[in-house]
Amino acid sequence: MTFINYVAREINCKIVYYGPGLGGKTTNLQYVYRITSPENKGKLISLATETERTLFFDFLPIDLGQIRGFRTRFHLYTVPGQVFYDSSRKLILKGVDGVVFVADSQEERMDANLESLSNLAQNLKEQGFDLGSIPYVLQLNKRDLPSAMPAKELQQQLLVRGEPVFEAIATQGVGVLDTLKAVARQVLVELRKSA
Amino acid sequence: MSLNNFNLQERESRRIKAILARLHKELRAELVLLISRNGQPVVITGTDKNTDCTALASLAAANLAATDGLANVVGEKEFSVLVHQGRRHSLFISDLLKRFSLVVVFDATASLGLVRYRCKRTGFLLEDVIRSFQQGAEKAKAVPDYPDFSDEELEELLGNIGP
Repeated sequence: MTFINYVAREINCKIVYYGPGLGGKTTNLQYVYRITSPENKGKLISLATETERTLFFDFLPIDLGQIRGFRTRFHLYTVPGQVFYDSSRKLILKGVDGVVFVADSQEERMDANLESLSNLAQNLKEQGFDLGSIPYVLQLNKRDLPSAMPAKELQQQLLVRGEPVFEAIATQGVGVLDTLKAVARQVLVELRKSA
Repeated sequence: MSLNNFNLQERESRRIKAILARLHKELRAELVLLISRNGQPVVITGTDKNTDCTALASLAAANLAATDGLANVVGEKEFSVLVHQGRRHSLFISDLLKRFSLVVVFDATASLGLVRYRCKRTGFLLEDVIRSFQQGAEKAKAVPDYPDFSDEELEELLGNIGP
């Protein structure tokens, strides 16, 4: 649910990072937080367990600056990837404007990727969204690991509709900003279309 | 206002601010916020400059959403009001038409009964305003000064992502 505040001249959009557990969703946000200048970011909030697994969500507000006099803010959320936190994932998808699917490139995580992607489609549908039309980007993370599958094979199985795909090593920041820019671009273009 | 987007215009903002300011005064609250149910601050009234209202709105919305989930689990339709009592500050959160929430940060020594009573009344007033601007937005599909930016402006904006 994009919120345009004409009084304060602000556009606020919500982006959710989705994907299997331990795929690197939180690491994406941590990198964005680390490299964004203090005046353009809020606090990074992580509701995590004692072992640093995401329990509910991570949240990072970033400020992109102005467009046509409107200050543009993106609220970045991650969902907990573990299967049993499905209720939490549904809650976080409420009012989403764009989704990044962070896939784990390791061969042994392919089933988890597919299960999570199917779960995303289902949960979006329950919120009244369609994975075939919502602003959406696929990120193939952990490209540096020895068991990483070829990107082409991953795409064959995970590509939904010809969405932008980015290879990433989130721990090093590789591909993180390109992913974020791509989804932000789609969200804003969609917003412009809806005028 | 479409199903998925909503736009806050000057007139509604003024009405909401006046309602929130009255509650702020009556309760001597620290902060009074109207937030969207997906965690964005819409209108903020208060004197506390130190609180991160963006974080507060996000967490309050998540809190209310999680409580809705709990309600479903125990077979309740909803728990529409939440109160958290602290040593110095307390927090009141209530649902407004499933799309917005009223969030009040108040002194922990304040009478909880009074807070609930005033917030309930304020909630009714806010719901009236929300209904009216929902109806107004449905009639006026397009907003005249919509930020219709060019591709170049968009790319320039996206260039701000990063160091």
